[in-house]
Amino acid sequence: IQPPEKPLQAEEWNRLRESFKSPEIFEEVMFNNMVRYNSPIDVAKSLLTHLAKSNGDIGYNLLVKYLALCVQQGKTSEIRDVYDILKIRFKILESGAYNLIIRGLSNSDQWRMALTLLEEVKKIMIPSRTNYESCIKAAGRHQEMTLACELYHEMLAKDMVPTLDVLQAFFDYSRGMKDPELQKELFGILLYLRENQIYPHKTFMWSIKLWFESIPGENWRGHLTNITDSGQCPVCNHQLEDSELTEEEYNNLSERIIRDVIHGTDTFRKTSPQEFEAFQTFVENRLPFDIVIDGLNVSHIKPRKMQCENLFEAVNCLAKNNVRLLVLGRKHMLINSSNWKREIMKEMQNKADFFFAENISEDDAFLLYATLRSGKHCKFVTRDFLRDHKACLSDSLTRHLFRKWQRGHQISKKKFLFFFIPQPAFRYDCVVQTTGDTWHIPYKDTFEEKYSYRVPRKWLCLHQKY
Amino acid sequence: MQSANMLVKKIVRCSVFPFAAQHGMKKDLFPLTRTLILSPCLKEDNSRSPSEKLDLDAWKEVMKSGLQEVSETVSEHKEISTLAAAREILEMWRLAGRLVPENFSEEQLKTFMECPSKSAKKKYLKYLHLKELYKKNDKRKMDEKRERRLEMQERASKTEEPKRNSFLCLWASSMDKTYNWRVAQSMIFGQPLVFDMSYEKDMSVREVANTVRQIVLSEGSNRRSVDPFHIHFCNFKDDSLYHKEFIKHYREAWSKLLITVTDQCYTDIFPKDKLIYLTADSPKVMKTFDHDKIYIVGSMVDKSIKTGVSLAQAKRLGLETAALPLEKYLLWNSGAKNLTLDQMMHILLTLKDTGDWKKALEFVPKRKYCGFVNKPVHELKKTLNLINVLKLGKRQKELQKQFAKNYSKKLTQK
Repeated sequence: IQPPEKPLQAEEWNRLRESFKSPEIFEEVMFNNMVRYNSPIDVAKSLLTHLAKSNGDIGYNLLVKYLALCVQQGKTSEIRDVYDILKIRFKILESGAYNLIIRGLSNSDQWRMALTLLEEVKKIMIPSRTNYESCIKAAGRHQEMTLACELYHEMLAKDMVPTLDVLQAFFDYSRGMKDPELQKELFGILLYLRENQIYPHKTFMWSIKLWFESIPGENWRGHLTNITDSGQCPVCNHQLEDSELTEEEYNNLSERIIRDVIHGTDTFRKTSPQEFEAFQTFVENRLPFDIVIDGLNVSHIKPRKMQCENLFEAVNCLAKNNVRLLVLGRKHMLINSSNWKREIMKEMQNKADFFFAENISEDDAFLLYATLRSGKHCKFVTRDFLRDHKACLSDSLTRHLFRKWQRGHQISKKKFLFFFIPQPAFRYDCVVQTTGDTWHIPYKDTFEEKYSYRVPRKWLCLHQKY
Repeated sequence: MQSANMLVKKIVRCSVFPFAAQHGMKKDLFPLTRTLILSPCLKEDNSRSPSEKLDLDAWKEVMKSGLQEVSETVSEHKEISTLAAAREILEMWRLAGRLVPENFSEEQLKTFMECPSKSAKKKYLKYLHLKELYKKNDKRKMDEKRERRLEMQERASKTEEPKRNSFLCLWASSMDKTYNWRVAQSMIFGQPLVFDMSYEKDMSVREVANTVRQIVLSEGSNRRSVDPFHIHFCNFKDDSLYHKEFIKHYREAWSKLLITVTDQCYTDIFPKDKLIYLTADSPKVMKTFDHDKIYIVGSMVDKSIKTGVSLAQAKRLGLETAALPLEKYLLWNSGAKNLTLDQMMHILLTLKDTGDWKKALEFVPKRKYCGFVNKPVHELKKTLNLINVLKLGKRQKELQKQFAKNYSKKLTQK
């Protein structure tokens, strides 16, 4: 039902209510629709008055819905009135009402009241992320940057993940300010992006660029650019950080892969202890490999070709230049069949080392182990995104390490290319980075869909001009 | 475009009409007030607003007045324990229209507070809310039933009909006896069926409760069957969560159940070469039901889909595994291939009695499959391939997928 356009008298409400098919929820539905159609608040008020007069009371849920309507239309005095009434009527409020009031007040000139409300919320529960967001934005809008920073740190201390919106607000509101403390805070935000491998979107990137260029007396210049495959910035010729993990990170990662991915809760789920041991001795005796190939995955690249031909092509292509290859497969590949010809398999085994796992074992885990064990130079070939293995890792830090390592070491193949052209693994690391007088920030186009395995190719290059 | 405009106009007119009509009626009802305020040059809503303005905030006065006493009592509650505070927040949530149960036990409140995240809390509340609703409905139905029965009795006492209840009682108890005879016989001569109770560590408390429920159901249908299995609970630890849940369900009957409960592993009781572990992850597909083998069913409900847990167990013990031939006989639609324990029991019992796969797989939930395959699947695929090659020549793989989809759709329509 559509809410009326003008305030109604009591009997008119009564008539409407009776014509509604389930009168007991009439008010609720009506208020919901008022919020949806953004009706004038006078209409809502007339309904409230009617209710108050006929029942002597108005339910909490209806008051909250009315509040939502007021917040939607920015009626500050009305929000305060409702808050007063709620305070008189109920001992405490629940999070929905607080969310609305804080959001409503933070957008008005009474934004300081939102801060006191935030304190009130803290007494009974943990404030929600949106509570903090509204308050931080309000403080920023009124140039109280220290306050905004305080709230931001409080939020981080509570393990909340700030939205990009809030981070962007910091850059927007501190444009043109010369304040070393604040500058440090904003650099801190950029480092937060780096540590969590977050990429800003286009508008956020513009905010960052404009802020840098607005710092008085520092002459920052920003350019949008693409980085070449070698990892050199075409604007300032700066070489980006390479994607290699440090010794410690590397050891950490290989340890965790063995513990979490291969063994997990039960070694038998992915392999068996005997098989894993056999694989370990096999790998140790033949170390180090240069490229490890997921045989079954590669064999499905061209669906119309025989599977062993696909694999044969890949092995031939990669076997040049004396590289040491390891191909992982399953035992069923050894049985002569329409897809796996024994002669071709024999020929391949002269060119590369092969390890055949049990048919019910997972060969991916072996792929990771063999590559990591061979050392930093070793790459691996598979089209798999390895998301399920990433998910096995227990903490986010290791997961980030895994992604970084994967970007640097996985050779994937462009889909539907006729010839087998291995795509180069990334040689540079795709994160926010700085040298003090330069910043390089990867960003994503807002419209481009981005998956966690895909990294942006567009960069913002910032450097100081003297 | 024009017709669309017309439509919009019509809709607008329709929605405005009733209100206009009501305003008109009001004028007739209060001719005096109207004539006082209405002046020809002012529009209606402008003229109404001054008189209405006072009216509009009247609700605030109502809400503020008359409730002053309540606000005074608030100040007494300055120091409240965390439990009480949680109770109050929940009460507010309920008022706000969220799914929150009306009554809370102290224990439930504690579990609620221990929930690690907001969504976990929400889920727990919803669960309690639904539970409360079901309970209420059940109670209401029971009451209605009782009333009806009382009415019936009254009517019966009036007409003085002879009672038939004694016969019914006799019937039920004699049936119980026959069932027990059969099960007792199966304990001596019957084919063993093992429930592997070693998955407690892989499950949450609620999953264990669900598992036990399913086992209770399976035990019931086994007892009532013509030729029951001899049920074994293996790896069963006393005072485990399983044990507690079973006692909740069976009470005193637990010690009188005609099943074998042991903390030994099945490999200690039976020869290894006779055991077959049933698991959906098995690469081997069951072809026929073997009356000489001992089948093992893992007593596990995994809502979080932990693949390969029971396969790992079978691998560790070096046992043969098998999966039901679901793919072979059913056009699978959606859902996981793991079935509930009572469904497994029904299927195994039917297989044991008849050996008819079609009859047995009737017990797979209907939502999970589109229909039965009357030919083996690989033959179906072959004909599909042939059609593709003849018709279209190229792009086989993609088209094949589409065909398979359409085919399954057709089957469901039939």
